[in-house]
Amino acid sequence: MPGLLTVYHPSGHDESSALVQFSSDSNTPIVYSLHHGLKSPIAPRLSISWSRGNSLRVSVFRSPETTETVLDEVEVGGKVVELKLSGEYVDSEINDAARWRRIAYGSVSPFAHLQNKKNAMAALSELRHSAPYDVDWSKYVLEYSKEINSLLGSRGSSPTSLIEDPKTVLENVEEPSSLKAAWELLEIFYADKQSQAWIPEQLVDWSAVMIVKVLPLFFSKTCNWRRGGEHLSVYDSSLQAVEDEPAYWQAISSALAVGWLDIVVKLLRLHGSYQLNQLGNRETENGLVEAVAVLISKMPRMRAHLPDGKLGECYYNKSDFIKAWEKWRAQITKLDCSAFWLQCSHNHTRENLKLLLQIMLGNTGTLSSATFHWVELYIAHFLYISPFTSGLESMHALAQKCMQLKPTSSPHKLMRLIIGILGENTEVVLAECSRSFGSWMIAHATELLTAGSIQAEILLKEERHNLGGVSIEESHRLVYAQVLSSHALTWQIAPIYLISCVKHGVGLLEILLYKQPVYHSQVLLKNIEICRLYDLDSVSANAMKIAGVHHWKHGRNGAGVFWLQQAGDEVRLNRIAQKLFDFVGKSISDESFEQWEGLIELLGSESRTAAGLEFLHKYRDFKKSLQQVQDGILTDAARKAGEALILLMKNPSTPQRFWLPLLYDSNSNPKGRRIEEVLNHFCDLQLKLLNWQGRPLLNVSQTNLLLNKLQELSVARLRPDFVEVGMPAGALSSVRVALATNLGRAILEE
Amino acid sequence: MATETLKQFHRLPQSTYVDALRFLPPLSAFDRYVVVASFNSDSDETSIEIHALNPSTPPILTLQSSFTLSSRISSLKVAQKSLQNPLIAASTFAGSLHVLFPNPIDVSFESEVSIPEKTLHLGPITCLDLQENGSACVSVGEDGRVNLISVGDSGLDYRRIFDSKGLVSYTASRWASPTEFATGGLGNSLQWWDQRRPGGPVSQFKGNWSQGAASGVVHSIDIHPSRKHTCLAGGSYGTVFAWDLRRPQQPIVLSGIDAGEPMSSSSISESEVWEVQYDTFMSASNRANISSERVLPVMICSEDGILAVIKQGDEPTELLAENCAINSFDIDRQNPSDVICSHEWESIAFLTRA
Repeated sequence: MPGLLTVYHPSGHDESSALVQFSSDSNTPIVYSLHHGLKSPIAPRLSISWSRGNSLRVSVFRSPETTETVLDEVEVGGKVVELKLSGEYVDSEINDAARWRRIAYGSVSPFAHLQNKKNAMAALSELRHSAPYDVDWSKYVLEYSKEINSLLGSRGSSPTSLIEDPKTVLENVEEPSSLKAAWELLEIFYADKQSQAWIPEQLVDWSAVMIVKVLPLFFSKTCNWRRGGEHLSVYDSSLQAVEDEPAYWQAISSALAVGWLDIVVKLLRLHGSYQLNQLGNRETENGLVEAVAVLISKMPRMRAHLPDGKLGECYYNKSDFIKAWEKWRAQITKLDCSAFWLQCSHNHTRENLKLLLQIMLGNTGTLSSATFHWVELYIAHFLYISPFTSGLESMHALAQKCMQLKPTSSPHKLMRLIIGILGENTEVVLAECSRSFGSWMIAHATELLTAGSIQAEILLKEERHNLGGVSIEESHRLVYAQVLSSHALTWQIAPIYLISCVKHGVGLLEILLYKQPVYHSQVLLKNIEICRLYDLDSVSANAMKIAGVHHWKHGRNGAGVFWLQQAGDEVRLNRIAQKLFDFVGKSISDESFEQWEGLIELLGSESRTAAGLEFLHKYRDFKKSLQQVQDGILTDAARKAGEALILLMKNPSTPQRFWLPLLYDSNSNPKGRRIEEVLNHFCDLQLKLLNWQGRPLLNVSQTNLLLNKLQELSVARLRPDFVEVGMPAGALSSVRVALATNLGRAILEE
Repeated sequence: MATETLKQFHRLPQSTYVDALRFLPPLSAFDRYVVVASFNSDSDETSIEIHALNPSTPPILTLQSSFTLSSRISSLKVAQKSLQNPLIAASTFAGSLHVLFPNPIDVSFESEVSIPEKTLHLGPITCLDLQENGSACVSVGEDGRVNLISVGDSGLDYRRIFDSKGLVSYTASRWASPTEFATGGLGNSLQWWDQRRPGGPVSQFKGNWSQGAASGVVHSIDIHPSRKHTCLAGGSYGTVFAWDLRRPQQPIVLSGIDAGEPMSSSSISESEVWEVQYDTFMSASNRANISSERVLPVMICSEDGILAVIKQGDEPTELLAENCAINSFDIDRQNPSDVICSHEWESIAFLTRA
């Protein structure tokens, strides 16, 4: 329906105050068509409101005139349709909504687990008046971080070398997202306290997995390598020399600079001098290549262990490492000065191998020319120049230096993040997380940022006036919960995040629960379950009330009464019970009597809830036996009916409620008025009973009781405010005659 | 609470919400198929899909064919006419009913017959059950109607056998024999029907137990072919009970908050039990415990993520305790050690018991 949806243009408004930047590029209005299924003509009456997430709820009303003429049951009133607008929120990187939801689902349990731990520890430290916090806590945070990390995709086997197939130098690993890369960075710097000393080596690993796919500059290079790899096999088959190809050597030196030792060694062993037919005349050359390869594979690494297939020798201890490092460098220098180089006739090989040695010796110029991006250079620095760099300050200084050498025009979001981390600037880290990686990232990353940093903790947990009194941490969680609750499949995990928000969490959770369409049984049950978990009894009671009223209004009386009973909604149950009185006194068809009887049955299971139910029950019994009387002449049934009638009349609970207001009050009580109808109706029914053929059904005292009631009623009729019910004029007198006759017969009987 | 060791357990993430799933009776000697009622929240599309199950490690589900429906599926059942092809019956929240006939050769959907919405029920069909030989369905709804649908070669015929006009809402149904079936509803009530005695239920169970359990909703019923007099039901608050028609006033509570003793250890779950099925898997210890006095072992799945086997007078055996609800499960009739279940968080789990 064109023209119905007007597009809001923010251009005329002050954009600086906007919470979310709105790009005004999409000025062309988008036209959505409504499938309301109503027959024309439709009166132009529409009501539009926001539904869940990006959906609009459009109510199309029929005009009153058409409703009167069209009696089609389906079309009464109109229809409510939901219109899903495009542009659903998804993380910039993970544009597959299903995958995004998988991450959201998966992060629930680590998050909840950590929150539980936090609460338990807080309670404990309060008890002990001390904080046994740090050690255990950092352990939990690391656990949490690792679990989340594993969700974001496997780290894969990184660039593994496959000896079997020379065509694939780089195995096609699962594309790691920059989201994962960002999380790993945070983990390295904030969560993993145990391995603080090995940050440089961890960064090397990190770059090995991430750099390939994430950095655009690396992309092209990797492609080159790949092509190089393919070339190699071509050359192999045509017995040409791979070492004549500059790309080959370029690939090797780049890989060596960033520490991909296994790949370097593998590439080196593709060198032409290894070919069996070449061994004889290129012995020295081959020896040199092999010597370099061995040196590379023996490179000392300051780390606990290396993953399988990675080269290098690990040293846990710093002094051991220094010894090995010095020895290794001495070996390189020795090889560099060796006389064998003179015997090497292949120019390319000689020069490039020497270059590799320079890289290993940490020659700044060589490193700089072997690398393209500052991060590569940065990694190379850690590997070959200053492996002991520690402390954020010196790392930051080094990063600045590398950036000066290799300036980039528009830094990648991961680079901005790493600079923020190195600069020890929590605000920048936060801003980068939220700007580049979305609400999921920041809601989960705050736990890492605050771990062990008092300054960050203050920053994140301080209540801020400009945020409406909540802390930054809480506000990010609330935003994330909002994102979750905007989707039909993820709204049920939002409570876990809301409940961790001290200030506004519970309030927003209640709103979220109230917004759910609880008239769907599944949603209602989910709602009740969530309320049960978080002790929100009043919310679940309200949801049940809403559902109950909905069912009732749609003719599902049983379900309506059931849910109202569950909610303990005495008020509405009473009102339903009152409705039942309307039936009393009217002649009822068999079918509606069944309905009526069924309702009494439903309400009856808890007779205390509704006033007068006992009366209704007795009336029901009476009416039932009366029906049996009508069916055939059954003296037993008639007697029962008579007994029921007497019981009704002398019912201990009825007098106070019904008879007194009826007889003495001004008839303002609606209950009273109805009872009057009841009485009149009884009279009508009684005629049959009272004129019972054969023997009188009621004895003297019973008849007297009825006569008394009748007298009371006739007195009441004299009052000016008496409301006459539609009874035949002579009803009262005929009842009186019948009762008198019965009385006479009863006296004779006795 | 005992936990059972599983030979194999794998979660298979899906990109759609799985409303229900069933093992399909074998189409050929070698293939195993799973029928999945899936809902794609991004495209708002509901479909019935047949996946081939390759029980390798990890198991692989391969989509073979799919049939698109207009509304989400409330109930999914499969059956097999003797020596004929299996058929799939599904009911929707919009109130329509569909019967599908998969082709045994390429597992495509050969034909479909359906009854449109607003015909059988006003509002959703809450539950549907297909007779073992696939010749008839019984459908129930919140509107209080009970319909009998006969599945013939020419199509579907339906007959309303009861209408409570909204006084009673039915939430579960299950065939006991070609002429008898049971239904369940609000307030943990159960009804027994016999087509030979029309007009209403021939026997009713209305929980006269204490407050908590009487307020539940029955979500699922199962009746064992060898013990047709016992009706097994699962519902709210972790309630699982058996109703013996020969002692209709005394439910046998297998699990739940009102399990007789005040101790709550007998209750394996505290929230909705979505599905109950007699467990046909017989380990050696199980077989020894079978007695005509006892209710046969029962498998349940629940809102709080429990998949467990309950034996009367014994500790329940927990198979899974997940972080999210388990909506539905099915035991493979050919290999009863294999169980497949659907998680609320858009995944399917396959497990093999040792």
